[in-house]
Parts: sequence; structure tokens; C-alpha cells
Amino acid sequence: MKTDFSRVMDALPGLVWTMDDYGRLDYVNNRWSEYTGRTCEDLRSEGLDSVLHADDRSLLNSVFRSRKNPAPQDEFEARVRRFDGEYRWFVFRFARMEEEGAAAPWCGIASFADEAATGIGGRKTAEHRLQRFLDDLPIQVVFFDVNAEVEFINQHALSYFGKSFDELRNWTAADVIHPDDTSFVKNRLARITAEGSSDSANGRMRGKDGHFRWFRSTLVPSRDAGGNIVRFVSIRADIDDLKRAEKLLTGEVELLKMVARGRSLAEVLDALCRLVEDISPGSYCSILGVDLDHRCFRAGAGPSLPDSYNQLFDGKAIDPGYGPCSLAATRNEAIVTADPLTDPRWAGSTWPPLMESMGLRSCWSTPILSSAEKVIGVFALYKREAVGATPLEQDLVDRFINIASLVIERKQADRALRKATDELQRSNRFLAETQRLTLTASFTWDVDRNEHIWSEENYRIFEFDPASEVSLDKILATVHPDDLPEVERLLGQAAGGDDFELAFRLVPASGQIKYAHVVGRRMEHIGDRPVFMGAIQDVTARKLTEEALERARSELAHMARITTLGALTASIAHEVSQPLSGIITNASACLRLLATDPPDVEKARATAERTIRDGNRASEVITRLRAMFDANPLRFEPVDLHEAVREVLTLCSAEIRANGAMLRQEFAAVSPVVMGDRVQIQQVVLNLVLNALDAMSDVTDRSRSLLLSTSSVAPGRVELSVRDSGIGLDDQTAEKLFEAFYTTKAQGMGVGLAISRSIIENHGGRLTAARNNGPGATFAFSIPLHQPESQEERIAATC
Amino acid sequence: MPDNKIIAVVDDDESVRESLPDLLESFGFRTRAFSSAAAFLRFDGSEPIGCLVLDVAMPEMTGPELQQELIRRKRNIPIVFITAHSHDGVWPALLNSGAVACLVKPFSESAIVSAVRTALAPDTGISR
Repeated sequence: MKTDFSRVMDALPGLVWTMDDYGRLDYVNNRWSEYTGRTCEDLRSEGLDSVLHADDRSLLNSVFRSRKNPAPQDEFEARVRRFDGEYRWFVFRFARMEEEGAAAPWCGIASFADEAATGIGGRKTAEHRLQRFLDDLPIQVVFFDVNAEVEFINQHALSYFGKSFDELRNWTAADVIHPDDTSFVKNRLARITAEGSSDSANGRMRGKDGHFRWFRSTLVPSRDAGGNIVRFVSIRADIDDLKRAEKLLTGEVELLKMVARGRSLAEVLDALCRLVEDISPGSYCSILGVDLDHRCFRAGAGPSLPDSYNQLFDGKAIDPGYGPCSLAATRNEAIVTADPLTDPRWAGSTWPPLMESMGLRSCWSTPILSSAEKVIGVFALYKREAVGATPLEQDLVDRFINIASLVIERKQADRALRKATDELQRSNRFLAETQRLTLTASFTWDVDRNEHIWSEENYRIFEFDPASEVSLDKILATVHPDDLPEVERLLGQAAGGDDFELAFRLVPASGQIKYAHVVGRRMEHIGDRPVFMGAIQDVTARKLTEEALERARSELAHMARITTLGALTASIAHEVSQPLSGIITNASACLRLLATDPPDVEKARATAERTIRDGNRASEVITRLRAMFDANPLRFEPVDLHEAVREVLTLCSAEIRANGAMLRQEFAAVSPVVMGDRVQIQQVVLNLVLNALDAMSDVTDRSRSLLLSTSSVAPGRVELSVRDSGIGLDDQTAEKLFEAFYTTKAQGMGVGLAISRSIIENHGGRLTAARNNGPGATFAFSIPLHQPESQEERIAATC
Repeated sequence: MPDNKIIAVVDDDESVRESLPDLLESFGFRTRAFSSAAAFLRFDGSEPIGCLVLDVAMPEMTGPELQQELIRRKRNIPIVFITAHSHDGVWPALLNSGAVACLVKPFSESAIVSAVRTALAPDTGISR
């Protein structure tokens, strides 16, 4: 009997046993031994508990506490230890045998959990299993019934929200959904109910730390066998990190765009701070600039901090004992302070109380470096809690420091560039103005390529349109035709690579002749072909002034000469014309008187007599004139010739200079002393010098030289000669020159040399003229020296 | 026959005073010579002066000064200036002053006669 019973029991797919009211085992089937590896005896003596999982033992007992009314549905699951020490879930079921007085009235069967039967009891077990499974899932799982009521929230979700099931059941009031997403969530369920489809969406929910995180929730309707929706399953995956990374990336791109578009430094830094605060909620950001020149901070951005705090730093000197920002800037290292009030580094600083007043606790300052490794700013992260930065925040700061550095440096570079550009523009304007003021223009000229780079002033000088091309042809067309040969010679010089300088005339479009002075120097660093850099100056004003001055001087000289002669001539003319007039009038009268019928001879005779008298008067004028120049014996005196000549030269030095003549004096060692009229001798010398200058006035191809010399040609005589390099004279002219009224000069009266000769002859000398061996002529006179002992004889001889 | 107005010759030069009246008289003109402007002004002849042959450069009172004095005295006598100076700027001024003619010494017979005839002509009585 036992064998049959045993065989059947052993064959049953499960662990079968019997036990008494107190849980003591009576019979166990073989499966128990097979599974647990314990013998029946062991099991009986040690009891069921010994193979149950410690956590599940109480279940067994609790069932038996209600043994008075155990119901068939009182099943439970418990873990049983396998022979190898592993536990496996079994579903325990009991039945009480209705055998009165039986020793072990309880009969139990434990079947392997996977093979649990369905049915009402099974479903519950299955649900428990499912629940356990769901609780273990590392995602949030929520069940909603068809009325959008919460049926189930898995452990993961409960842990995230930090609330109980009951609190979350009324999820609308539980304040876990982000306000912006609330209406969407509500509509979503309604929509899905209506459409019966599944749906995925992102939304934010508040965790137990109070902060919102992003989740991707997938809502799936669950149907029964009949296809009706019995519930909705919502599975939510935490995508907050993903979102954050996305935000980070987008934010970075935006910031970089702002930089590229040239937005102001303040705007970019402000956006940067806001981005960090957005990605890392609970943090407060500020960025300070560092002014290296002035060793102080500059306000950068601090969008969530009080303005007063931000402005405090603007222009503030960097004092390492003030706070972490200052220390970070000084030491060029990241400084963290979690408790400012007690941190000894800020002892005595006013910063910790300030932090306290703002409700901030921790501060983490990181220096921002330029590409040259100089501190150009400080990035500060503040928090209300006394915590350090999270790894996420560290990562964020590392990334954003780079952008901040880039922006600050870029702005500094922009500022420097703008300053440099302004200076350059100012410099250029100055240069252009200077060129204009001095009428000097600059140019570069690439000879071979006929390329010209001209300054503004250059176009103005040549009167070219500034927008037009400059070419050599254009330039040559503006040069004065008479100066073209010179300019062309210059071109040849330049083509050969030589520096050049030339003064020439321009005839630009306006027709006004301009005088130009150009200088060109070869640019040495361009070796393969001649390229010149040079300047051209409009010297017209100067030239015109010079010319006017020149003209005035020569006019003056001329006038000076003419005036003396002119006055003389006028008086001569006046003196002579009176008697001449009388002669003509008388003679005419005479003719008329003789022509009357009968002729009035008496009157005619009177007119003739008057004619003779007038003729005599005229000759008296000449005599008087001669007398004017005749030596008055009483005026003869010893005259130091050199001194007298020097006086004359001083008198006409201006004329000599104006003429451009080079004056040389070759005087005898000892100054000769002659006997004569000082003034008259000087008049002769003056006459000769002026004549010499006149003769040279048209000379351009050789130097104008004037040589005055004295020498002793014969004993007792001195010769003074005036030698010029002028147009010279031929032999025929030489003698005629001394004839009165002979002149080769356009406006001359021709009395100078005649008078001069007369004077010299009165002094016992001779005035001669001769052609030079080279260009020009030499006029000379020789007069006797003063012989003191024979003075009386001299006077007598010249009277 | 030229009218009987007197031609006054005023010149400090003796040869002019001697020769010119003779020449003019040989043409039938009536003349009277004065050695200075003052002498002329003192002259109080009964016969009217038809024209004045006046030297420019004279001591004490020059010819143009006499001209101005006559205008002041409202004696409109046509004037023929004679002068030994040719090139100074006096000449145009003299002509502009309203003189009939200005001759340079030595002048030809025809020049002086033509000038005097113009001066004596009835419609050239204005000296301004």
C-alpha cells in the first residue's frame, strides 16, 4: 500500500508532503529529496523551515496560524533551497484531509513557480510575480485603468518621486508633472483612449530632490482576450542626461554663433551663464573679466546674481584674500570654497558675509585663460548648498571655460584691431593732409610693368581723375613740351634702375603751368626689376616767386642804371632840344620870309643870325656836358684803387648775385695808389662791371664768371681789367663800342663807354676792350700811379 | 585871312620867344611873346587872346599850372603845349587836360601851324 501511494506521490510533478497541525513533517515524497538533496529523515527532523528561504519562513507560519480556516486559495510562494544551494520559487498549496484523528492531517503540494496553474489563485500569484518583476525594472512603470486612474506604480517610480502610492494616485494634484506639460499629459490619455493607439512623448517630472527631469514615456493600451482595452501601461525612461547633453550641444552652438556674428561680449557671457544654469539647475553663474593692465576685475555677466554683487567687481583691484575669484585669478588655479564664513583664506574679508546675505554657500572659481596662457577672466559657480561641483558641473565648466576664453580673447582682439584701424585711419588722414599742405605727393612706380600707385595729392598735382588709370603716356602728355627731352632722359635713367631727381614743368588740363620737382629712389628689396618709391612736389609758387623776384631785381638794376643815365639823358635832351627847336623855327621863318614877294631880307637876315646863335648855344651844351665829365684839376687826389674798386663791388653786389655770376678778384699784393677823381674812377669801374653782367645775362650753358684784377703792366702804371664769360665781341664791335651812342643793348643809350673812355683819358690812361681766348670779353684801363713828387706837373698836364 | 586874334607865346627860352613869333607872323598870324606865366597873367591887353602856345617846363609857374590858373579865372583860351620832354607821362596828361595839341621840341613848321590853326578855329574854344 505504501508503495503504491509512494509511487503515485513520487510521480506527482511537485513536492508533496504531509504535516501535522504544528508543521511537523510526516511524509515527504522523493522529489523533496531529489530537489533539496536532503533525506526524508533530515527533513522530518529539521523541518520544512530548514529548506525554506529565511525571508519566506514566516509565510508558512502565518498560514498555519489561521489553520482553523485554511482555504484552498491560501497559497503562497516561497523559495526552497536546492541541493546546490540555489533557491527557487515554489507555490505552496495546502489541503486538510478530513480524516479524523489523522496524525498529519495536512497535505501540501509545492509546485515549481513557472508551472503555476492559472485560475483565480494563479492570476494573483502571477500578478505578484509580475509586480516583483516590474519593481525590479530600472524604468518607471505605471498602470492606468480605463478611467485614467492609477492602478499601479512600480518601485522605481516610487523611489524617483519619493512619494507613496497613495500620494501619487492623485497624480494631478501630486505636483510631479511640470506645469508646462500638464495639459498635454491629460489630453494624451484621452486621445489614446479614443484612438486606442500607443504613443510616445517627452515630458518633465519632479523627482524627490525637487528638480524636474526629462522622461520619455511610452503609453501602451493593454487589451484582454476580447480585444478591449483593460488598462494602459506607461513606461518612462529617464532621458534627462540625454536631454542635457543635447541642450549642452545646442547651447554651445548658439554661443559660438553669437561670437561669430559679433554680438557684444556682455551678451555672449550672459547667454553662457544662463546656459550653465539651465543645464545645471540650482547653480548660479558669473563670469568676470580680468584687466591685466590695471590689475583689476571687469564686470562680465551674472544674470541670476544681484546687480549690486556683479557691479561690485567692476574696477575692483584683485586682492587674493578677498574671495575665491580673486585668489583664482592671482594663482591661476581653480579655487573651491564650501563654507566661506569659516574658510580661513577669507578671514577678514567682507566677501563671506556678502555671500551669506545672498543666501549662497559654496563658490567654485575657475580662471579663464587666453591662448597665451594669461588670466583674462574668472568663471564662478555659486550654490545655495555647501556642496562642491558635481561631475556634470565640472564637465560643463571645463567646456564653457574654453568658450568664455575664446569670446573674451576675441573681443580683446577686436578692440585692439579697432584701435589699430582707427590709428591707421588717423595716420592716413594725417599723411594725406600733410601731403596736401606741402603740395608733395608720393608714388610707387614699377617701371617694367608700367604700374603706378599714386597718393591723392599726386592726382591733384597732375589734375588727373582719381578714379582713372595712371599710365606713362598720360604723364608724358602732361609734361611741358620743352621739358620732354629731360623727362625722357629721366625715364632712361629709371629703366636702368638708377635713382633720379628732376625739376620740370607740367601743363595740366587747366592750362596753368606748374613747376614740379620729383625725386625717386629704387626700392632695394625688389631685386628683379626696378621699382621706385618717390615724391613729387609742386614748387610752382616758389618758382613764380623766384622768377618775379628775379625780374624785379633785374628791372631794378636796369632802372637803376637807366635812371642815372636817364636823368642825364633827359637833361641833355632838354638842353639840346631848346636851341635845336630855335634853329628849325628860325630857319623855317627865314625861308618863308625870303619867299614873300618882295622878300623881307632884313627879317630873314635876323632869323639867320638867330639860327647861328642857337647853333652855338647847342654846341655850348655839348661843351658844358664835356665839362661835366672833364677832370676838374682841383678834384684830383691820391686814390687807393683797390679800396675804391671794393666800394664799387659792394654797391653792385646785389646785381652780381642776381646775375648768378661768380666774382673773383685777383688784386696785386700792394694796392696801387693813383692820382685822380675817386668818383669818376668808380663810375668807370661800375660801368664796366654792369656791362660785363649784361653780357652774361643770357648765358646758360656755362658758368658766369666775373674776374677783376689789377696788375702792374708798366712801371708807374697800373692796369685794372674786368673779364667776363659773356657773349663776347668781335673785333669790329670792339672799337665801335666806344663811339658815343653806339650800343648793342636793346635799351641802352650807349653813352656809358664813351664817357668812361673820356674819363680815363682825362686821367692820362687808356680804356680798351678785347675778345677773350675763351668765351666773353675783357675791358681794361691803365692809368698812371700817383707820383707824389711830380703832382704839380700832373695837374698841369691834364688841365 | 586868319582872324585877328593874338597868339600868345609863353616860353622861358629866348630862342623860342624870338623865332616862333616870326615864323607865325610869316603865316599872317599876330603874336605876342611872354617870358613867364606870370608875365602873361599880368598882361592886360585890350585885344583878345586867340590861343596860347605854352611851354611846359618853366621856372616859378609851369605851363600846366598856368592852365589851371586860367581855368580858375574862367579864361577859356585854347592851349598848344610845347615841351622838350618826350618820354615822361606828362604828355598824355596834358592831352587829357583839354589842350588842343602837345608838340615836342624840335617841332616842324607844319606841326606848329596846324596846331595853331586848330586852336584858333571857332569850334575849339573849349579848354577844360
